[in-house]
Amino acid sequence: MTTREKMLSIEVKRLLSTLSDHGALHLVEVETDLVQTNFLLSEAIEKLGSSFLAMQKSVGDYQMLVEGILTNSAPPDVAEQLKTAQDEIGKHANAAITCLQFQDMTNQLINRIVRRVNGLRDAFGTLGSNSSDITPDYMVEDIIKVINNISKALEDQSVKLESLLWKAVSQSNMESGDIELF
Amino acid sequence: MAKSILAVDDSGSLRQMVVFSLRAAGYLVTEAVDGQDGLDKAKAQVFDMVLTDQNMPRMDGLTLIRSLRSISTYQKVPILMLTTEASDDMKAKGRAAGANGWLVKPFDPQRLTEVVKKVIG
Repeated sequence: MTTREKMLSIEVKRLLSTLSDHGALHLVEVETDLVQTNFLLSEAIEKLGSSFLAMQKSVGDYQMLVEGILTNSAPPDVAEQLKTAQDEIGKHANAAITCLQFQDMTNQLINRIVRRVNGLRDAFGTLGSNSSDITPDYMVEDIIKVINNISKALEDQSVKLESLLWKAVSQSNMESGDIELF
Repeated sequence: MAKSILAVDDSGSLRQMVVFSLRAAGYLVTEAVDGQDGLDKAKAQVFDMVLTDQNMPRMDGLTLIRSLRSISTYQKVPILMLTTEASDDMKAKGRAAGANGWLVKPFDPQRLTEVVKKVIG
């Protein structure tokens, strides 16, 4: 093998390795964000279901007490029981509002996924558009130049994508977050 | 007279829940869809408090806080961050920019109103 051919094989190897690394990185991030989206959605839906069922029960209890007042068959501590039922409804409504915020978080995760997928599409586009320049009469030096251009474009695209992405959503459950006053 | 709050978030559903929670507690709430919209509305009217998200298109929360702190009428107005960002690094940046507090999403309506009451009464 000549020196020129050795150089070409090194560059081809580097290009394939770069492409593989970028592709794998994007796909790992996409997978992580999808798993987290799934966690948040599952927990939010489960908790929302529980909250609405609990609210329905509390509203039923409240209505029974009101009916008791209307028919003069209410228990002696009706005022206290009404207050308890009302508090329960409020508590479950607050829990439901906390869980309903899943849309905000999953929306951020999905936006990151879309940008990663776009990054992959751009990487394949770069590979396609640059390699189509290569013709049968290309010399080894010309091919090396094209490969170098592709490698650099892939690096640049990755750096640009990272700068555009917001930080990953760290929440993995729908419990209310910390509060800190400075 | 009811206190006025500017709620800045690019998520419509999140704004809806902030508005629902704070109006139920008796506050007047104005919505802004991103940092730039928030800044425009804050310039048109001085609010008693600003509650802002961090990650938003056009202008993020930290930039909004720095812009507001450069306006004389907003140098003492409490500004709270309400965001998914929970790292100590981001909290330190928020504090340095002039935020008075950091609330990590998702928020519990009762805890949110308690904090707002503690801050502006």
